[in-house]
Amino acid sequence: MGLREDLERFREIGDRRRPDLAEFIREGDLSGSSRDRVRIPVKLVDLPSFEYSQRDMGGVGQGQGGTPQPGQPVDVPGDPGDADGDGDEDGDPGEEGGEHDYYEMDPEEFAQELDEELGLDLEPKGKRVVEEVEGDFTELTRAGPNSTLDFEQLFKRGLKRKLATDFDEGYVREACRVAGADARDVFEFCRADNVLVSLAWIRDAYDELAAEGVAMDEYADFDDFADRVERETVSARIRRDGLRDVPFRREDERYRQPEVIEKKQKNVVVVNIRDVSGSMRKTKRELVERTFTPLDWYLTGKYDEAEFRYVAHDADAWEVERGEFFGIRSGGGTRISSAYALAAEILEEYPWSEWNRYVFAAGDSENSSNDTVENVVPLMREIPANLHAYVETQPGGNTINATHAEEVERELADRDNVVVARVAGPEDVPDAIRKILSTEGT
Amino acid sequence: MIHDDRVATRRVAAGLEEPAEKARELAEKLGLRPYPVRYWVVTHEEMNRLIAYDGFQTRYPHWRWGMKYDRQRKQDTFGMGKAFEIVNNDNPCHAFLQESNTDADQKAVITHVEAHADFFRNNEWFGRFAGDREEPNAAAMLERHADAIASYVDDPEVDRGDVERLIDAVLCVEDTIDQHRALAAERGVEDADADLVDIEERLDRLGLSAEVRDQVFDDEWIDAQREGEHLPEPRLDVVRYLREHGKRFDAEEGKAVDREPWMDDVIELLRRESYYFAPQKLTKVMNEGWASYWESLMMGDERFAGDDEFVTYADHMSRVLGSPGLNPYALGLAIWQYVENTANRREVVDKLLRVEGVTWRTLHDVVDFDAVADLLEPDPAIAGLTADTLEHLDPEDPRVDADALERALVGDLDADAYPWAVLTYEGLCERHFSLSKPANRGFLQRVGRSELERLARYMFDDEVYPDVETALADVDYGAGWERMREVRESHNDVTFIDEFLTEEFVVEGNYFTYEYSHAAGGYRVASVDPDDVKKKLLLRFTNFGKPTIAVYDGNYDNRGELLLGHRYNGVALDLPKATKTLERVFELWGRPVNLATVVTEYDDHELEVARRRGREPRGEEAAIRLRYDGDQVERHELEPALADRIAAADADYDTKPDEWLA
Repeated sequence: MGLREDLERFREIGDRRRPDLAEFIREGDLSGSSRDRVRIPVKLVDLPSFEYSQRDMGGVGQGQGGTPQPGQPVDVPGDPGDADGDGDEDGDPGEEGGEHDYYEMDPEEFAQELDEELGLDLEPKGKRVVEEVEGDFTELTRAGPNSTLDFEQLFKRGLKRKLATDFDEGYVREACRVAGADARDVFEFCRADNVLVSLAWIRDAYDELAAEGVAMDEYADFDDFADRVERETVSARIRRDGLRDVPFRREDERYRQPEVIEKKQKNVVVVNIRDVSGSMRKTKRELVERTFTPLDWYLTGKYDEAEFRYVAHDADAWEVERGEFFGIRSGGGTRISSAYALAAEILEEYPWSEWNRYVFAAGDSENSSNDTVENVVPLMREIPANLHAYVETQPGGNTINATHAEEVERELADRDNVVVARVAGPEDVPDAIRKILSTEGT
Repeated sequence: MIHDDRVATRRVAAGLEEPAEKARELAEKLGLRPYPVRYWVVTHEEMNRLIAYDGFQTRYPHWRWGMKYDRQRKQDTFGMGKAFEIVNNDNPCHAFLQESNTDADQKAVITHVEAHADFFRNNEWFGRFAGDREEPNAAAMLERHADAIASYVDDPEVDRGDVERLIDAVLCVEDTIDQHRALAAERGVEDADADLVDIEERLDRLGLSAEVRDQVFDDEWIDAQREGEHLPEPRLDVVRYLREHGKRFDAEEGKAVDREPWMDDVIELLRRESYYFAPQKLTKVMNEGWASYWESLMMGDERFAGDDEFVTYADHMSRVLGSPGLNPYALGLAIWQYVENTANRREVVDKLLRVEGVTWRTLHDVVDFDAVADLLEPDPAIAGLTADTLEHLDPEDPRVDADALERALVGDLDADAYPWAVLTYEGLCERHFSLSKPANRGFLQRVGRSELERLARYMFDDEVYPDVETALADVDYGAGWERMREVRESHNDVTFIDEFLTEEFVVEGNYFTYEYSHAAGGYRVASVDPDDVKKKLLLRFTNFGKPTIAVYDGNYDNRGELLLGHRYNGVALDLPKATKTLERVFELWGRPVNLATVVTEYDDHELEVARRRGREPRGEEAAIRLRYDGDQVERHELEPALADRIAAADADYDTKPDEWLA
């Protein structure tokens, strides 16, 4: 029907208007999203028309409970109004004002699209066994309830046993009639010929033959016997006589058991560490947020379970909630090792055998002297993790003591789970993310 | 009642047959004259589709319907847009009821729809589309358009993308039509050649010999004149002008060439649709108010809903009317009630002024308004009619429908369920006389001296009645409804609000105007003065709430450029949007296009001073011309003569107080 095509066409147009993810990560407004809902602003698809400037037009509103006073602020939907606060006084209002629609994706979709966009292929490992479930009844045990007895197994084993012990009785009896041979000669001849007969049986056969009074020197010797008597194969015999009895033995009984399947959960814990010391000004803070937030979404989308812990540090480290993480500023110096010490403590709650671990740290590379080499690097070596990343945000160029990133790179060059990414401006963010996510310890 | 084969739908549809029939009967008794209505019961999903298609089942292929549908569905999931009904303007009207509505909702919706159907048929603005045929024939027309456009889309000779692009361009200017003009007038007299006739007439008047004329002013020259003409008067129907005189820019040839016939056709079809939908946009408040008024009368006062359903209905109604902000239902309903009450009051006061000894000066002193109220109370036999009181009614009484009374007496008519059926229009007028309703007590007494004086001024027979009682016996209870029907016939939202919006509505509803404050960097309440509120409301409803754009010149600068003018009324254009729209207009003109408008500019010094003093900056108005040549937009100063021509002197929509935020 027509409307379906119209809808498809609209989606096509809408898709074209959607900024690609890299652009969104670089410049997009990340604030509208939450951890489980990524909201990507889409430029409104609708057609333009001649309209009044919304701000110039003003409007009519209805007061709730009483007549409002002139001068009172009014919330006008669709216009940021006070939101852009200062500065916007260039007499050209209404530009880009609230002209957004949102495309919402969940973190899974985000991760998938980011994979495509940045050419990543992070395959998360399942680590923690969350449950053991019973699979198909394909395991076998020697004991069990009758209802699970695997009769087919029992029969097969019995059959094998029968085939293994069966021999051509007529053939052995004839062999007893070789002139001058005694039971032991026959036994040895049979064994050499792979006939699984026992000496006792042969002796019984001699007795029987003697009792029957059959001539005992029918064959001159064993060669003569072998020439004249054809041995009958087991299968021919079974075909002729039928499978009369298969010996069922207790030790052949097998009982079916459900297979135990271990379900492993792909779980991840991410420790985000951020330098909040005085040197981390607004631009640097924003770059950290711009880098860490998509990483969080990505890992949330990739793993079944993702936990995030946030560590802020200056000379000391303390744990904070996500809401405050990107905004905090403190005075104080910088001692990055304090954060890794706390991270190590936090990670004890997430045993390495059960959890994938990511430790992301960000800062402007400033650290108190020798702290990196003496303390941080050993801690990084000690903390087992899929990845240790350091994001160096340094708009404004190098300062003399900003050597943390360099030192980490140099000291830990032997490790494949350490990566350093440098973000000087928003345009570097996608590359940093790609670099971080395509590094992983094995 | 039409419905599809699904069991659920059929069940719902069957239950609605009687209410639909009765609602029609009641509507007609109340003096309405609706188009026949076909009711359809549809699923939620179908409802969303219908909404996307503006109430019809078939529209031309375009992504915009998909967009509307997508939004509708999303809105729906967030529980905001519960659609109860949709009805289209056609003869017969088609009304679509959602299957999942409760019975009370369905009945309410049906009464609502009947009133809309009456409005569609009797409002003059709707008539302008249909003309004398009185048949909008909308569904058929839209389907024809859909077929035609679909055939172009499917035509292998025509690029699909081109069709879409053309439709996009036309939709950008779909509201720049002359919506107050009757499209119907165009039919029959196809005056597309009118301009040409003009030119030829003018040539004739020059008195040249045929030879000279043919050589100098050959057909080519005449054609050139037609294409680019200096217009004596701006043309409001921009779409039509573009259709008649526009070309198409051919990128390969690098110049404007004539359009393909299918292009002209598409533009014209879309233009007709614009004209078809314009009346609905022009009368939104009136129409929704009208429907709400009759719905509330039928459902509430006539208990068209059963007692058990009434609570659901009341709840529904309070949600519809009570949604905050300015909603057309509440605004329209309030204005209609005001129209009714004032007409009724005038009728009563007119009678009172004719009582011996009563003048406009003494009325308030000598008339006992409590006694008047008692006398105006409808006859209990009429007001409290039930099956048990039928025998008290006189079949000769003009207020009683004698046939229906007889049927009710023998039991063919359930007078308890449908007491109104036993009454005539006259009876119903009395039964629902607005001034007797508790909500309107005191309305009569509040009549102002000036109004009394005005009424009395030309009154000659002012000593007709010996006393108040005889005077009131002559009151025509139908005065209010009659006036409402008159207003319903000729008004649109702008005239309706302008003439009838009351101070009471503004004050009681705590309505206010707001303006953007540059100093505060946000919107602020500007005024609570009812006149200001009315002014702002009018801005919102005049010309669909959009700026008026007209064609000022088809041969601007003698280079065949188009000049559009924004009739500047003090409210500026949204320039980025206007620029984007202008770029689309280029696609319909094929040559450079211009837009004249006025912008307000603030110089840095002024901004600085204003900021320091904490006051609003004073801007300088500058008339500008935007020109788009297919490649880029340039901004020029506008010639003063043109600046004068685009100024609209008659309106001031600014409601900022002088000493704002001081």
